[in-house]
Amino acid sequence: MRTVVIEHLARVEGHGGITVELDGNTVGKVRFDVFEGARLLESLVRGKRYDEISPILSRICSICSAAHSLTSLKASENAFGVQISPQTELLRELLYQGESIQSHALHLFLLAVPDYLDLPSAIALAAIKPEAVKLGLRLKKLGNLLQETIGGRAVHPVNVVPGGFGTVPTVDQLIEVRNALIEGLKDADTTIDLIASLPPAEFCRCDTAFAALRSPNPDNYYAGDEAVVASNGDRSTMRAADYRKLANEQSVQHSHAKHSSFGGKPFMVGSLARLTVNPQRLTGKMAAAMERLQLHFPARNPMDNNKAQAVELVGDIERALQIIEQLLRDGIKDERPAEVHVRAGTGTAMTEAPRGLLIHSYTYDGEGRITAANVITPTALNAACIEMHLRRVVEQCAEGEEAVLEKRLQMTARAYDPCISCSVHLVRKL
Amino acid sequence: MSKPTVGIFGLTGCAGDQLVILNCEDQLLDLVSVIDIRDFLMASSGNDEVCPLDVAIVEGAVLSNRDAEKLRAIRNRSKFLVALGTCAVWGGVAAMDRGADRRKLLQEVYGETGLSYDSAAAQALHEVVKVDLNITGCPIEKDHFLSAIANLLIGNPPLYPEYPVCTECRMLENNCLLIERGQLCCGPITVAGCQARCPNLRVPCVGCRGPVVGDANPSSLLSAFEEKGFDRQAIAARLRTFAPQGGPQ
Repeated sequence: MRTVVIEHLARVEGHGGITVELDGNTVGKVRFDVFEGARLLESLVRGKRYDEISPILSRICSICSAAHSLTSLKASENAFGVQISPQTELLRELLYQGESIQSHALHLFLLAVPDYLDLPSAIALAAIKPEAVKLGLRLKKLGNLLQETIGGRAVHPVNVVPGGFGTVPTVDQLIEVRNALIEGLKDADTTIDLIASLPPAEFCRCDTAFAALRSPNPDNYYAGDEAVVASNGDRSTMRAADYRKLANEQSVQHSHAKHSSFGGKPFMVGSLARLTVNPQRLTGKMAAAMERLQLHFPARNPMDNNKAQAVELVGDIERALQIIEQLLRDGIKDERPAEVHVRAGTGTAMTEAPRGLLIHSYTYDGEGRITAANVITPTALNAACIEMHLRRVVEQCAEGEEAVLEKRLQMTARAYDPCISCSVHLVRKL
Repeated sequence: MSKPTVGIFGLTGCAGDQLVILNCEDQLLDLVSVIDIRDFLMASSGNDEVCPLDVAIVEGAVLSNRDAEKLRAIRNRSKFLVALGTCAVWGGVAAMDRGADRRKLLQEVYGETGLSYDSAAAQALHEVVKVDLNITGCPIEKDHFLSAIANLLIGNPPLYPEYPVCTECRMLENNCLLIERGQLCCGPITVAGCQARCPNLRVPCVGCRGPVVGDANPSSLLSAFEEKGFDRQAIAARLRTFAPQGGPQ
């Protein structure tokens, strides 16, 4: 019996590791360990007023802070029956696109790509391919420009409030962002070339189930109320309010993240799942990008999630441009947030954070104070699937050195773009 | 002159302050040409986990024995330790109710399994080790990080505002959300440095940078809020959302 341990998984957000037990050729336990401390924020918000919830629960995760903020607001607004304006809906969607651009550029260029070239970091990458790192930083900056313009800050947006925005962007600001997005389209195109030029990476092949928000419009991360689980050609649909069917979680000893399955099978969420579930998105530049990357469905290699993020970078920039054109055409109005009238009840919201499905579900009393909060994050939903894929990697790694296996395990876990701070937030037992 | 050796670490938190470092897109490549980053797990897999460091930059709060041990080990190998962000400086959102029964909370979330988890009430870094510089903010402001590095390179401590967000807000000539709109704005008691980000967008300050040390007068502020009809307990809880009582020394 020998044990392969990756104590600190590097180039991911948060603190996790991997443990594999091997007995000759038999694979024993395979664990994705989560060491992140438990902050118990869902319990600590109990008794807080509705307008305090989003700034607190945004702090679950920095990279997905816009998604956490807006999913939180949407859950509260659903609980109170608040109708937001079409302009607010568009601006929120635009903020999601900005977050996705930042997050995907960060993950691809600073966290994932160095592996393909046997390098420890983007700093090392900059020494041999400075243009590649500068390209990634320009895209990251573009995403952050969008987040700052709409959200008021790149990390933990301050301008998003119940019912709408504190202050809407000016026409001049929107034009500045539009011009940056037009430049960004070229950078996204170059990104596809770069990702297509990387050495192939396939460490396991296996059937995988995928879950994502079914979007009413192409390229939508925010609007929508139904998730689809796609598995071997079957599609099951589920409304946000029934989220417990999806997040059918179990506590496990080695991890502060619970493990989710649907119909007894783990499933994957994130970019690859979104493209799989919403093939209607895949036209024009996105379809061409998929072809250049040789990304085909159903995907059976979890490393394809990196390619899917590159495809989404193209789609995000296109969609952000469309939204800005529409806002400029319709004329941006200096709207005040929709009024909130509190009432007792439960509200659930499901959106697509950069790393996949994100669910916030709250119960309020008649005074607008929260009595229960559940947050289910993409990395918590992915945890069981990460372990399944790690197991396949071990099984399909015929022989060779431990270093090869370790590298494959790390690259596979990293392809999920895990956000381990997020993963510790779970469904509370009721 | 040899480049100073630097380590960048995260304890328990959202990694937002490390993300702000990575968000210095225009400065990042210059930055790594003047400092030698030896240990930065979030950005590199080629780290030296034991070498002595001239500067350790640590974000997050201490929420477990594992965190505390890690922090002590970082302190032991570092000449100068920077607490980065509100969690590191004050405890942050995880510290908003340190009196809560953690066993009960853990059990609620994780069931019986939770009772075996290594978990303790959130502490700021200064409650566990000596801290040489505090850079507050949730997250920190990019400029504050860059000016800290620039100043440390020439051997000076950086200077940050010690006055409240209100001062910045007035300089921007905003209408007062507290006095003119009766909104619960934490600007009078929260330390400046953010250019009044929130009130400048007509959103009340939530106090994410932590309180002004020394000067602010919480009891007179409490009275001002009470005059506007806010409940004393709710105000006190709100003022403690990001920073429990007892701050950096």
